[in-house]
Amino acid sequence: MTIPEDFKTRLKIAKSKIKKQSQFDSEKRGSFMGSAFKLGTELVSAVAVGTIIGFILDSWFDTKPWLIIIFFFLGTAAGILNVIRTANRMQKEE
Amino acid sequence: MAGNPMQQFSVHKIGPEINIGGIDLSFTNASLFMVISAAIILIFLFVGTKEKKIVPGKVQLVAEMFYTFVAKMISDTAGSKAKPYFPFIFSLFMFVLFCNMVGMLPYSFTVTSHIIVTLIMALFIFIAVTIIGFAKHGFKYLSIFVPSGVPAVLLPLITVIEIISYLSRPVSLSVRLFANMMAGHTMLKVFGGFVISLGLLGGWLPLSFSVALTGLEILVAFLQAYVFAILTCIYLNDALNLHH
Repeated sequence: MTIPEDFKTRLKIAKSKIKKQSQFDSEKRGSFMGSAFKLGTELVSAVAVGTIIGFILDSWFDTKPWLIIIFFFLGTAAGILNVIRTANRMQKEE
Repeated sequence: MAGNPMQQFSVHKIGPEINIGGIDLSFTNASLFMVISAAIILIFLFVGTKEKKIVPGKVQLVAEMFYTFVAKMISDTAGSKAKPYFPFIFSLFMFVLFCNMVGMLPYSFTVTSHIIVTLIMALFIFIAVTIIGFAKHGFKYLSIFVPSGVPAVLLPLITVIEIISYLSRPVSLSVRLFANMMAGHTMLKVFGGFVISLGLLGGWLPLSFSVALTGLEILVAFLQAYVFAILTCIYLNDALNLHH
């Protein structure tokens, strides 16, 4: 059985398309890693700032350990808010 | 031997010790590499803009590319009102970029891999943006902490969350740059150590990893400078165009 010439050229074109696509993907992966890191630090920094504020307020008002617990959760909420905002912004850029 | 992978981050004094009013102001290797980066930027831009040809030469082309890149970034994210802040954002972007890139050279020191450097830059931006916001809008600037369309019951909670989110900006800005640079350089050093300890027989695999990582690190160095500058633009946009 012989493969028709027409099929061979079509296969070639399809293969080169796949190659191009994967090259494009690996180029894009770098920027995705950047945005993943961006989201991670957004979340963690808000939690850290919230907890530190809670800690400081606790030592001011002598209410250990209540405010640090409350502000930890508020910081987490702020972090999630940060992440949602950043994600919205990235979606707008696409 | 390869030594400690964290040793590259140690700061040591160069020259005599300078002590003014109990504050140690000695010239260190960190200061040296900041001066080197600033000098490279100045020389590069000076050479690039000296001849001002209509058909630009290589250096002029690159200098103009940086200019249009930053100008476009500012007008895209912060609008035309942010034009007066172009010099600041341009210097910031160039400084971070060149500090990162100079840090990629062997035997050099990466200034941006120290949290104190990035934190000071981030705090400066944070305070400046806050002052700009208050100067432009007065006490109305506080309305960025109060999003519209929130039920009155939830308002105190949301306001506290917004304030924490606002205060976390300098932290995330500085930690991102510092962590990226430090992690990347430590990884490079660890793989470099593997090459030596595995010797001529097994060292080729980590060596190829090292080469690939160097490419990735150059990408990260550029990307982080870009992210640092673009986030400054976004914060500036929040302060200049107050709407919610």
